[in-house]
Amino acid sequence: MLMHVVNVNKDVMKANNELAHSNKKLLIKNRVFAMNIMGAIGSGKTTLIEEAINALKDRYRIAVIAGDVVAQMDASRFEKLGVKTVAANTGRECHLDAKLVERSMENIDLEDIDILFIENVGNLICPVDYKLGENVRVVVVSVSEGDDTVLKHPMIFRTSDLAIVNKVDISEAVSADPSKMKADIEKLNPSIPILLTSGNDRISIDRWIEYIESYLE
Amino acid sequence: MHEYSLACEIFETVIATADQNKASAVNSITLEIGRLTHVNPDQLLFCLDVLSGDSIAEGAKVNVNFVSPCGECECGYKRDSGVPDNACCDDQQSLYEYALMTCPVCGKLLQLVGGNELIIQTIDIDI
Ligand SMILES: [Zn+2]
Repeated sequence: MLMHVVNVNKDVMKANNELAHSNKKLLIKNRVFAMNIMGAIGSGKTTLIEEAINALKDRYRIAVIAGDVVAQMDASRFEKLGVKTVAANTGRECHLDAKLVERSMENIDLEDIDILFIENVGNLICPVDYKLGENVRVVVVSVSEGDDTVLKHPMIFRTSDLAIVNKVDISEAVSADPSKMKADIEKLNPSIPILLTSGNDRISIDRWIEYIESYLE
Repeated sequence: MHEYSLACEIFETVIATADQNKASAVNSITLEIGRLTHVNPDQLLFCLDVLSGDSIAEGAKVNVNFVSPCGECECGYKRDSGVPDNACCDDQQSLYEYALMTCPVCGKLLQLVGGNELIIQTIDIDI
């Protein structure tokens, strides 16, 4: 019997990155602007996307990939707004990966779309490791998760393009300090734009929509 | 928790490589895990162990080498991260340390390069 060392040298993460790259090329070719919306369950991702759809759907053609362990529930919320929606069931997985997005995009006529929202599965850890081919990564964190949430999950704030601190209207009720959360995000990523939002504060929602529009003009 | 799907991918590659080389057994697998990934090594090893049961890789020893990111600054400063490779592999703790590393020259946050890999380096087989 012969003992033998075989060089494998395969990066398991790279396979996803390569697929994400081909997704990105496809999106660019079709002039689609894609946003990956990441954040915990209950952070308010779905509501923020709904607000954006309502504000932008008359001027832009929009589609949504709703990723979740069981995705149909959020998907039907988007469908009600009259936009093309694909439910991406991750089954037991904790995040969307480039393969799932590639498959979901096969069900969307990309030539007929200007904006693609990708609602990622609810957590702040796993989506960090998986690029999808998006143009912009958005992390949503709500005050109800506790104002130490940012420092507990540093990498998602390091790798995102926009950070949203949501539900600031209930800060007092949940004993959280949104300005601490903002300062923690700045500490981790000094150049990242940060929005403090609340569904009850129209001005803050308008800023979120303006942020999206800044990429479209 | 995405350790299970990663373990599946590792296992499939290991078995395919072993088959290509007409192996009768896989004695060990050597992995390189970047410290910036959110992979929990204990969970990954557990999943690999479960998957390898009843295969030619059953009981294979899994060696893990951790890879630290390199820190770079706009001012030109560059060096390997100051966190030693044998530092505690507690996920959150070390991520936090890396995420807040600043440049000793100008004080800005260091850009982290590398540390995102999960590489199957080698397998040791019986032929
Ligand atoms: Zn510097």
